[in-house]
Amino acid sequence: MIITTRRTALFAGASLLAAPGLVRAQGAPIRLGTLTPLTGAGGPYGPVMANCVKSVVSDVNAAGGVLGRQVAVVSEDDQTNPEAGVRAARKLIDVDRVAAIMGTWASAVTTAVAPLCWESKTFLATVSGADSITALPHSGWLIRTQPNTTLQGRKFGEYAVELGAKKVFFMAPQTPFTQSQLANMKPPIDRAGGSIELLIYDATKPSLRTEVDQVLRARPDLIVLGGYTPDTTVLLRDIFRAGFRGKLLAYAYSVNQQMLSSLPNDVTEGIYTLAPSPAEGSGGFDRVKRIVGNDNPDPYTCQIYDQINLILMAMAVGNDATGQGIRDNIRKVSQGGGDRVDNAVDGLRAIAAGKKVDYDGASGPCDFTDAGDITDCKFRYEQVRAGRQTLIRIA
Amino acid sequence: MIEALLQALINGVIAGTILAVPALGFTAIFAVLNYPNFAIGALATVGAYAGWVGNTALGLPMVAALALAFAATAVAGLVVQWAAVKPLESAGALMMAIASLAAGLVLENALRFGFGNDLRGYDLPLLRDWRFGEFRVGPQQVQNFALALAAMGLLWAFLRYSRTGRAMRAVADNRDLALLRGVDPARVAAVTVAVGAGLAGMGGMLVGLDTSVDPLVGTRLVLSIFAAAVLGGLGSIPGAVAGAIAIGVAEEVAVLAFNPAYRLVVGFVVILAVLTLRPAGLFGARAS
Repeated sequence: MIITTRRTALFAGASLLAAPGLVRAQGAPIRLGTLTPLTGAGGPYGPVMANCVKSVVSDVNAAGGVLGRQVAVVSEDDQTNPEAGVRAARKLIDVDRVAAIMGTWASAVTTAVAPLCWESKTFLATVSGADSITALPHSGWLIRTQPNTTLQGRKFGEYAVELGAKKVFFMAPQTPFTQSQLANMKPPIDRAGGSIELLIYDATKPSLRTEVDQVLRARPDLIVLGGYTPDTTVLLRDIFRAGFRGKLLAYAYSVNQQMLSSLPNDVTEGIYTLAPSPAEGSGGFDRVKRIVGNDNPDPYTCQIYDQINLILMAMAVGNDATGQGIRDNIRKVSQGGGDRVDNAVDGLRAIAAGKKVDYDGASGPCDFTDAGDITDCKFRYEQVRAGRQTLIRIA
Repeated sequence: MIEALLQALINGVIAGTILAVPALGFTAIFAVLNYPNFAIGALATVGAYAGWVGNTALGLPMVAALALAFAATAVAGLVVQWAAVKPLESAGALMMAIASLAAGLVLENALRFGFGNDLRGYDLPLLRDWRFGEFRVGPQQVQNFALALAAMGLLWAFLRYSRTGRAMRAVADNRDLALLRGVDPARVAAVTVAVGAGLAGMGGMLVGLDTSVDPLVGTRLVLSIFAAAVLGGLGSIPGAVAGAIAIGVAEEVAVLAFNPAYRLVVGFVVILAVLTLRPAGLFGARAS
């Protein structure tokens, strides 16, 4: 009996050593992290984003993984708060040893987390918009799928002019993009002979009556709302109570369906919103629709879908599952011509067949500058009518 | 400029009166149990959600929803007290304060787990403000102001005329003497926690009525509540009211003088100044 047991053990040990590399490697999955806001102002988006990544990875694992290894996703909550974001990023980097972190949402969180990533050679893919993020000395360790504030600010300024505004007031909490948003809104408004002023408010204040009084004293004909959903809700109530009859223009991520269902229709009626538009009608967009189970997935979920697909393919094309491998190879799969793919399963198959791929995703073409910004993006212009976002145009 | 100042004063007095309700709860618990209960923010959130459920799911009118907010938060406050704070009573006030802070985080996240992060609005029409020349006041503000005054009036009558209320004041004034007179300290502590937490819940609901309800609605108030209680004198009931109104006015008037982004500084500066110049606060004697 003892002999049998010993033989069995020896046999088992020898078999393990003799097993093909693939089988042993499957014991050590490639680890990737999502750091999305599951709570706080970004709370409506983060859980959907994290689930989207898991769904893409599950499809890839079912098709054999990447470089013969399975992929594991570790999801952490940045609480839409830089301090919590840094703690969660430290855990992902030091404990889970992820090769990449995806999905940081608030610009303040991304700004805080980015240095940890480049110092530890962890790749960072973000959906934050502040100009300052890609201006950080990240040496290629960071990409973003969200258009920067220069582009967004200019679009807001041009749209304010198109809406006939001469006197614009920009009300926003203090964020890393507030100043650059204002600076980029100003030129189109100035050119049209108008003017714009800024009031920065405290986003945690339960009432913004006095701030609204300050703004209305300047008699603006259009107010741009630059906050997140909770503070914009407070602001809209106070603007309505104050009897403002001018136009309102806001980010679509703050005036979202969740806000529209929490406020009476007459408070939100007529608000114009602007948002980077996902690539509606594309194969990637249709896949995201199926993953999230609705026909109108938010732009951030579309963007993180693109991030995970690009990262998985970059590892495969570089034959390197580390952060360094992703950094060095992501542009080889995102741009430069080749077989058009909109998902990693098809992309990995093409790469295995020795083909060059060029990914076009759910959020857009996903081509990046050296600084990490996307080169092209469409915007979605909408207006709230009877408590629902109504599409005006995509341009 | 004068109009702007007067309008800010009106806004500040109304905001301060609403802030006074949870500040009263905070200071009452401090007076009797001698520790700052930092779960007060999460308790205010419990009240905001309880009132919201009462109003939207059960169809209760405002006053009944407010009573439900009080009752639900009183129970939540007692659970926090018995489960988290009381076991650490012998470790001192600091440990009790930390325990309450931790219990507050648990409560806040339990609410988030149950209700999600979505913003919730009460089933109330939003009305435009009444205008009086250059000034304006909101009907909801006036209603909340009246409800806050009524809550404070009821608390005053309870402390002044009821046997339990008198026992609470006796323990707050001189615990040993009260014990000698046969006051049951466990009962007084329980009633104080229930009333204090209930007031926090009412305050949370009043703020939720004016804005909207989310898991952080009460947490955003904690600094202002603490600053109000410190300014009035920790443990002083009239002090909490005066402190809250002063903080409410200061926060609104500060908007005219400084960049509104620095509003939080008001609370910190008040706490710093009071602790430096008059640690007992405006009305407090015990705190010194």
